[in-house]
Amino acid sequence: MKTNIIITTRWPVLLLLSGLLLLLVLASLHYASDLTLGETLSALVGKGNLYSVFLIQELRLPRILTAVFSGMALGVAGCLLQTLARNRLATPNIIGLDNGATAFAVASVVAVPVSLATPALALVGAATAAALAFGLSGGPGTQGYRFIVMGVGVGAVFGALTNFMLARADMDSANVAYPWTVGSLNARSEEVIVWLGLALLFCLPLALYLARSLNVMRLSDAVATGLGVHIRRTRWLTLTVTVVLTGFAVALAGPVGMIALAAPEIARRLIASGHVPVPEAALTGSCLMLLADGIGQHAFSPIEIPVGLVTALVGGPYLLWILLRQPGGKTL
Amino acid sequence: MTLQTNRTVYRMALVLTALALLFFVSLLFGAGPVGWQDSLWLLTGHGEGLGEQVHFTLFELRLPRTLLAIIVGAGLGASGVVLQTVTRNTLAEPGLLGVSAGASFAIVMAIYWGASASALNLQAAMAGALAGCLLVLAASQVSGTRQDPVRLILAGAALSGLLLAISSVLLLLDQRTADEMRFWLIGALAGRPFEAVRFSGLVTLAGICVLLFRLPALSALSLGHAVAVGLGHRPWQVQLTALLVVALLVGAATAAAGPIAFIGLVAPFAARAWVGPDIRNSFWPSLLLGSCILLAADIISRLVVIPYELPVGVVTAFIGAPVLLAVVRRQRMPTL
Amino acid sequence: MDTLATTGRKNALDTSLGKKPALLSAENLMLGYGGKTIVDQLSLEIPAGQITAIIGPNGCGKSTLLAGLARLMKPKAGRVLLNGRCIHQQQGRSVARQLALLPQQMLAPDGLTVAELVRFGRQPHQGMLQRWSDTDARHVEQAMELTRVSALAGQPLDEVSGGQRQRAWLAMVVAQDTPLLLLDEPTSALDLGHQLEVFEVIRQLVRQGKTIVMVVHDIIAACRYADHMIAMKNGQVLASGTPDAVVTERLMQQLYGVNCQIMRDPVSGSLLLAGVNRTGHVL
Repeated sequence: MKTNIIITTRWPVLLLLSGLLLLLVLASLHYASDLTLGETLSALVGKGNLYSVFLIQELRLPRILTAVFSGMALGVAGCLLQTLARNRLATPNIIGLDNGATAFAVASVVAVPVSLATPALALVGAATAAALAFGLSGGPGTQGYRFIVMGVGVGAVFGALTNFMLARADMDSANVAYPWTVGSLNARSEEVIVWLGLALLFCLPLALYLARSLNVMRLSDAVATGLGVHIRRTRWLTLTVTVVLTGFAVALAGPVGMIALAAPEIARRLIASGHVPVPEAALTGSCLMLLADGIGQHAFSPIEIPVGLVTALVGGPYLLWILLRQPGGKTL
Repeated sequence: MTLQTNRTVYRMALVLTALALLFFVSLLFGAGPVGWQDSLWLLTGHGEGLGEQVHFTLFELRLPRTLLAIIVGAGLGASGVVLQTVTRNTLAEPGLLGVSAGASFAIVMAIYWGASASALNLQAAMAGALAGCLLVLAASQVSGTRQDPVRLILAGAALSGLLLAISSVLLLLDQRTADEMRFWLIGALAGRPFEAVRFSGLVTLAGICVLLFRLPALSALSLGHAVAVGLGHRPWQVQLTALLVVALLVGAATAAAGPIAFIGLVAPFAARAWVGPDIRNSFWPSLLLGSCILLAADIISRLVVIPYELPVGVVTAFIGAPVLLAVVRRQRMPTL
Repeated sequence: MDTLATTGRKNALDTSLGKKPALLSAENLMLGYGGKTIVDQLSLEIPAGQITAIIGPNGCGKSTLLAGLARLMKPKAGRVLLNGRCIHQQQGRSVARQLALLPQQMLAPDGLTVAELVRFGRQPHQGMLQRWSDTDARHVEQAMELTRVSALAGQPLDEVSGGQRQRAWLAMVVAQDTPLLLLDEPTSALDLGHQLEVFEVIRQLVRQGKTIVMVVHDIIAACRYADHMIAMKNGQVLASGTPDAVVTERLMQQLYGVNCQIMRDPVSGSLLLAGVNRTGHVL
């Protein structure tokens, strides 16, 4: 029998996603401002009147960069961790990184006034949660599932602590801490944007490189070893990249966990199943984040819904569908 | 056989003694301006000289709280051991699987729609817990979860996260709900009226009675669906009854004390280590150990940062995390 | 060993001549998952007091058929009769006192001991209140002796060897004390010695008057131990009867797509396949 081996090229999908992202960025810059498109663009490069330059460069651009970068980081982190765990539910927020970041951020707002900025503490929190899960489970080793279950446990402890601090705090502090519990692009800080940009610059190529090994590891560890993959190293590197990306993303945007679940899932549908869709997940993550933030800002105006809640509300039904999926469905 | 019966009696006696001890410690120590000497005097029947305040602290504050810890602990311990048998997964626990999250989400909804946080929103909590249970059942049937116990936990964590996010939206939109919920959401045994204690006590008792009749079938279920059918049981019916009762127990516990995680993990784990994996043997120990552990956690929460109190949920989380680790280390699970 | 084997065969032949009534039978049975039909319009009778082996290629529906006979699956059409009555209309517990099932996939909670497992077999005989009787204890003891796991009683199931674990599970089913036992690949993944041990136990059970239905992968073992054979392909029964009648060169061709010669084992007298090669290929 003659078989057709279909070799799909990924460029069309990547180009399409990049185009979509560009379009969304433009739309976010331009939407609901009284500038013309030309004015918007020239304001972007610093030309035009003071007001429009301020609006575009100082107000909108940082927020959009926040969305793009954090979406990208979460998409990649989710994609890597899902593939490593062979489970589409294993995303960074599920294994406690978000809870760790939230707990530290809330602590810095309501309980322990320290000189360190809140985003920096969120980063420390994510790293602490990861380190605890790593340490308690004895590293990712061959028993990587331990790391994930410990992550769930560590996340529960941090969640309890966050609730405790919010209950103890006075109403004003609780309100200040609120964005950190749901995920919002309002809490952005320029410095962290640069940091996350640098982290992405370093981690994205690494993730692309890891994707090849992870692709083989989807089969089984034994097969992957047989095909020459260095399993232990791949696992360590993957988890490190995941922690770094998630840590910075959460430090920037708070716990917007759904992106890490949904972006890789959509990306996986866009391309043939023979690949780990790292670049696609990155672009999809950015698009989703921009879209969700846009909806949150404008849909219920003048009330602004934090982006984390938008993604949770939209992603929720989808999550339920995954949970209830019939046996025999496509697995990772 | 007689040797075994003797050992069972001995073990039961041991746990009951521990529980009784904790009960008295719980009455003696704790928040409030009453020292343990005065409490001891009152309890030994020399309370004439002591003021109204001692009486009030002991019988109106500490006694309901102690009883509630015993009831909630028993309910959570029982639901933990039943969930673990039904899903054939030693990590299954109402808190980790999202059943408690379902119950507390339903309560947030109820309060948002006008119910009072100080009332016992039992129906809402039970409905939420039931929805959580059914999701667990559905997820446990999805291919893969049977070989890989971690998947079910991830599903539970994902569900909890989602419900928490939706709760946050409600809290954002409504300040009153936010104020009332902040305290309830951390899990607390204090400040509950006797009414609530009595009601959740009755519900828990009823649930436990139903489970008692189902123990043989549940133990057969731990050998797999096919074996359970072969031994003359109806697995689906048994699973459904068991989950309904779990919903009842978790609903009652959550409505009375807020979401308290890890008791359902820790108590059955200790019970199994002690009497073996068969639920016919481990049911009573799980239940009693659940009471002991929650009561102990509550006592700790009162004593650690006097004059403040830690929420008991934080204490149980700290007790639970190492046990979670132990369970994971013990289990032979597929590698990633 | 061989004398034991030959007398067993003789006994079986005698009983098959006596033509006992069928304990278990299927009428126009149709089984499947979802929209997929796996067993189609199948009728059969299980002869009492004999070992019946269901054979056939992978995916022919033999395990599905066994699951249907054991009421694990509800038939889409047709019915299964146990003692002349529809199995699905009988009480679960009363069926469990007539029919025991050993599934292929065996799950047990960590730390369960061999004796605890075997005691599960007595559940169908225990009432809601009446718990453990001397009869129960006696049956458990006998079952463990028969399967030779008495010495392992207190050991956790996950610490004994594969062959011992298989016999412990068999003991659980034996303790159920039913006239009819359905076994799904009772010797899968066992080495030759352990396979023989399990088959000897099965043969002893038949000598005690029990009826056995088993799915067997290994056709030589089926020829050696079965009194009655049911050959299946694509959800249909291609042939049934004594091994001598069923195992023919033509049927092997139909079932597995192989050419072979049927010979007789010079020692035990049972059938053997020789010179097996794929149809169209010459050795």
